[in-house]
Amino acid sequence: MKLGVFVSDFRNTVDTLDRLKAEKLGIILVQNGVYHASIKENGKSSPLLEKSANLYALSEDLETRGLTGSSVDSRVKVINYSDLVDLIFNDYEKLAWL
Amino acid sequence: MADTKLAFIVQRPQYKSENPKLGITHAIAYQTVEILLEDGETVTPALCFIGDGVLACLKDQKAMGNYEITSSEMHLKTALLVDLDVLVCKEDLERFGITEDKIVDAEDMGAEKKIQVVPFETIQKEMESAKHVLFF
Amino acid sequence: MATLTIGVFSSLVGSMTLDFALKLAETAVNKGHKVNIWLSGNATAGIKNHQKHLKDYSTGEKHFRALLEKGVEVCTCEACTLARGINKPDAIEGVQWNAMHWYLAKIHTSDRVLHIGGE
Repeated sequence: MKLGVFVSDFRNTVDTLDRLKAEKLGIILVQNGVYHASIKENGKSSPLLEKSANLYALSEDLETRGLTGSSVDSRVKVINYSDLVDLIFNDYEKLAWL
Repeated sequence: MADTKLAFIVQRPQYKSENPKLGITHAIAYQTVEILLEDGETVTPALCFIGDGVLACLKDQKAMGNYEITSSEMHLKTALLVDLDVLVCKEDLERFGITEDKIVDAEDMGAEKKIQVVPFETIQKEMESAKHVLFF
Repeated sequence: MATLTIGVFSSLVGSMTLDFALKLAETAVNKGHKVNIWLSGNATAGIKNHQKHLKDYSTGEKHFRALLEKGVEVCTCEACTLARGINKPDAIEGVQWNAMHWYLAKIHTSDRVLHIGGE
């Protein structure tokens, strides 16, 4: 399955993402999830960024938190709401908000 | 004639938030969805418990006695009575030391259907075969 | 045109998830898609009318009204809403009231479903 997973927390309270298998897995960082894209803890990037090759962060939520595009990990594609709508309809068959 | 298969995945414990319980009640709603669909169209949910969500399946919940609210146990009994497929993750039950005899059943209400204890892999397959997945 | 159904369970005030859902819905409908919104649990309080938009808090009414005008179907879980002391005369006009099967029926005809219940 092609699964787009929304991550909206910086500290995940469930381990579901570690267990899901998908032929194509996208991780879409929104709300406090965008901290994964930008914040390094003790100099290390978020381990969440290792979980997929398809990583996205919502620009409006980065900006809201004072995070700039230049601070975003190079593996993460910054998208806006319009891009997100296209992603939902064109790239993933199923969506999960964990 | 079209059927839409859905996977309801409850991954959090009940009672702190209302949402995990709503996962059960939304799945049960499949029983009456026909009134809003065209003839021959159906919705078929599978209700799955994983992670901390498996704790909803414990017997002898006393939510009604203590807080005057319906327990997840009562809703699960209803789910079994309306013939819903209810799956609980074997690995997570084992992690918590919960044996099958501690799991809710609806025998007292005459239901033949039982909660199925299955490996996570089976629940993964439910998600793959569903048209949409709904996490609670 | 494709159909997106969004299910939201988070409160309007105290969480920004409903803000996210409303913005996503607005963007999708502006791009020509059909959008349905199901409100359940704490999200149902968002359909209360006469909301005062104090800038410290999220607001829903003006966004719901704009979405309804654009043809978005918005439905609140009747039981969840009544349990919060909100009756039909207290609600934004145009919001539908129904039971959980409304959501399942909309899902049945949707291309994509974003169910925001995992919080």
